[in-house]
Amino acid sequence: MAGAAVLMLGALGIFYLSLGSKSSTDTADTHQITIDASGCTPNTLTVPAGAQRFTVINESERGIEWEILDGVMVLEERENIAPGLHQQLTARLLPGEYQMTCGLLSNPRGTLTVTAVAGQTVAADLSARALIGPLAEYRVYLTLEGRALARAVGDLQQQIADDNLDAAQQAWLQARAIDQHMALAVGLFSDLDQRLNARAEYFAEREQDADFRGFERLAYGLFEQQSTAGLLPVVKQLSADVGALRSRLSAQGVPASQLANGAGRVLQAWHDQQQNSEQLSSRARSDLQGLQAGIDKVVSLLLPVLRQAHPLESEALQAANASLAEQVPAADTQILLQASQQLADQLASVNALLASAY
Amino acid sequence: MSNLRTVITAAAFGLVAMQAQATVAPQDLVNPITDYKLYVLDNLEQFSSHTREFTDAIKAGDLQRAQQLYAPTRVYYERIEPIAELFADLDASIDARDDDYEHGVQDPTFTGFHRLEYGLFHEHSTAGLGDYAERLMSDVETLEQSVQDLTFPPEKVVGGAAALMEEVAATKVSGEEDRYSHTDLWDFQGNLDGSKKIFELVKPLAAQEDPAFVARIEENFTAIEHTLAHYYLIEGDASSGYASYDKVSERDRRALVGPVTVLAEELSTLRGLLGLN
Repeated sequence: MAGAAVLMLGALGIFYLSLGSKSSTDTADTHQITIDASGCTPNTLTVPAGAQRFTVINESERGIEWEILDGVMVLEERENIAPGLHQQLTARLLPGEYQMTCGLLSNPRGTLTVTAVAGQTVAADLSARALIGPLAEYRVYLTLEGRALARAVGDLQQQIADDNLDAAQQAWLQARAIDQHMALAVGLFSDLDQRLNARAEYFAEREQDADFRGFERLAYGLFEQQSTAGLLPVVKQLSADVGALRSRLSAQGVPASQLANGAGRVLQAWHDQQQNSEQLSSRARSDLQGLQAGIDKVVSLLLPVLRQAHPLESEALQAANASLAEQVPAADTQILLQASQQLADQLASVNALLASAY
Repeated sequence: MSNLRTVITAAAFGLVAMQAQATVAPQDLVNPITDYKLYVLDNLEQFSSHTREFTDAIKAGDLQRAQQLYAPTRVYYERIEPIAELFADLDASIDARDDDYEHGVQDPTFTGFHRLEYGLFHEHSTAGLGDYAERLMSDVETLEQSVQDLTFPPEKVVGGAAALMEEVAATKVSGEEDRYSHTDLWDFQGNLDGSKKIFELVKPLAAQEDPAFVARIEENFTAIEHTLAHYYLIEGDASSGYASYDKVSERDRRALVGPVTVLAEELSTLRGLLGLN
C-alpha cells in the first residue's frame, strides 16, 4: 500500500517535473499564484483578455486543485497538484469577473478580473469547431423529443383504440406540440414531413384522399368530425412514421447549415400560411406555440456562438426571440404575425453570419 | 522501475501525437458528443434513483441497507465526473472529502457522500445523518437539471477520458477516496467505465489518426480490467461488486499503477489528436 503510493508519487513527480522544465524555457509571461493552507496569494488578480498563462504553486501540505469559475461553472482547472509542486494552465479568457478556487473548500475564493484590451478584438471563434457543441446539443434535444413523441403517439393510439374522444383530443394536442418542436428537423425529410404533417389542401381529393394521413387526418376526425371512427389504422401508421423519423434522425442529424436556416423556414411557413387570417384558429395558435418552443432551443444554442463575433445581430435575434416567446400565449393575430415574421427575418440574417463556420 | 520507464516512454509518445496535425473534421465529433450526453443523462437518471433509495435507507435508520447501497450508488457519479465536476459547488457538496476542509469531518459545511460514509462506516450509525441525506438528494436533483441544460463543451468531454484516469491515479490507487468504507474498487471501476466510454465513442476517429495509439490504449484498459477481475465478489461476475480495498494484494496494487499511469498520460493526448487543443 505504502509502496504503491510512493511509486505513484514518483511517477507523477516525473510527469510534473517534465512539464515544469518544458515551460521554464518558454519566456511568455505567466501569472503566478501560490496556494497555501489559507488560500491564494495574490487573492485578487487582474489580467488582460486573451490567452493567459497561470503558474499555480502548491505550498500547502495537501494535494489541491485550482479552478477558474464563471458563475457556477468551471471554466478551466488543474487537478491534483501535489504538495510542493507547481502546474501551469493556459486559459483563453474573455473580459469579465471570474472567481478562483484556492485549495481547501473552506478557503475564501479569489477574484480574477479580465480586462478588455484597447484595440484588441478578442478572436471570434466562429469556426466549424464552435458549432460542435451546439449541433451535438441539438441532436440530444431531437433524440429526447423523438422519444417523447413516440410515447405521446402511443398514448394517442391507446385513447383512439378505447374510443375515448376527449382524452384522444388532449393526447393529439400533446403529441402535436412535440411534433412542432421538431419541425425544423422533420422538415429536412420531405417524404416524412408529408406523411406526418401534410394538410388536406395538398391532396387532390382533399379530406377524402386515400393518401391524406398523419396529424392532420387525425385532427380532421377528432376535431371536425368529433369522432374516433376509422382513425385506428391512421394512428398506427403515424406511429410507424414516427419510428422511421427517429431512425432517420439518429443516422443523419441536422447539418450546421440548417440550424438557423431551418428554424427560420418553419416559422416563415407558419406565417405565410396564416397571413390572411383575421383571427387565428386555436390550432394555428397552439402550432405556433410548439414551433416557438423548438426555435427557442435553436436560438439558445446559437446566441453563445454569435455573441462575441456579432454582438448587434445576436442582440437583435435575442430580442425577436424573446418578443415572440412573450406574445405567443395570448397576443392578437396581427401582433403574432408581426412577431413571427420578425424572428424569421432575424434567423435568416444570422444564417449568413454562420456560413463561415460550415 | 519498469513503471517509470513506461511513463517516460508514454510521455514521449504523447509529445509526438500532440504535434501531429489533426485531420479530424469538426463535424465528425458531433455524433460522439451527442452519444456521450445521452450516456451521461442515462447515468444521471440511474444515479438519481439509486440516491433516492440510499438516502431513504438512511432516513429510515436502516444502517445495513445504507452501507450496502453506498458504493453501488456512487458508481454512476464516478462515471460522469468530467461533466459533474464542471459544477464546482455541487461537486463539492456531493463528493468532497474531509481533507478538502480545514476542520475535516468536524467542518459544518462538510456534506455529501463522504460525510455519510463517515457516519455509516466509521461511526456505524445513521444517527444525525438525516439532514445530510436530504441535502444530498436535493443536490443530485439540482445536478440532474443543470446537466440537462448544459451544452457539453467538446474539449471537456474528450479531455474527460484522461481526467478520469488521473483521478484514479491520484485518489483511488492510494485508497484515500473511500477511506472509511474501503469501497474504492467500485469508484475505480466507475472512473474506468466513464473513461472507456469516451474513448470508445471517439475510437474510430482516433484510429484514423493513429492506430497504434488506439491499440496501446486498449491493451492498458484490458490489463486493468484483468486485475480488477480478481476482486469481483462472485468470480467472473462484474455486476457482483468488489472486495474491500484493503484485500487488494501489494502485487495487484503495483499491477494497477502502471497501466493507470500510462492511460492517464496517453489519453491526455486525445484532445490534440482530435483537433481540440
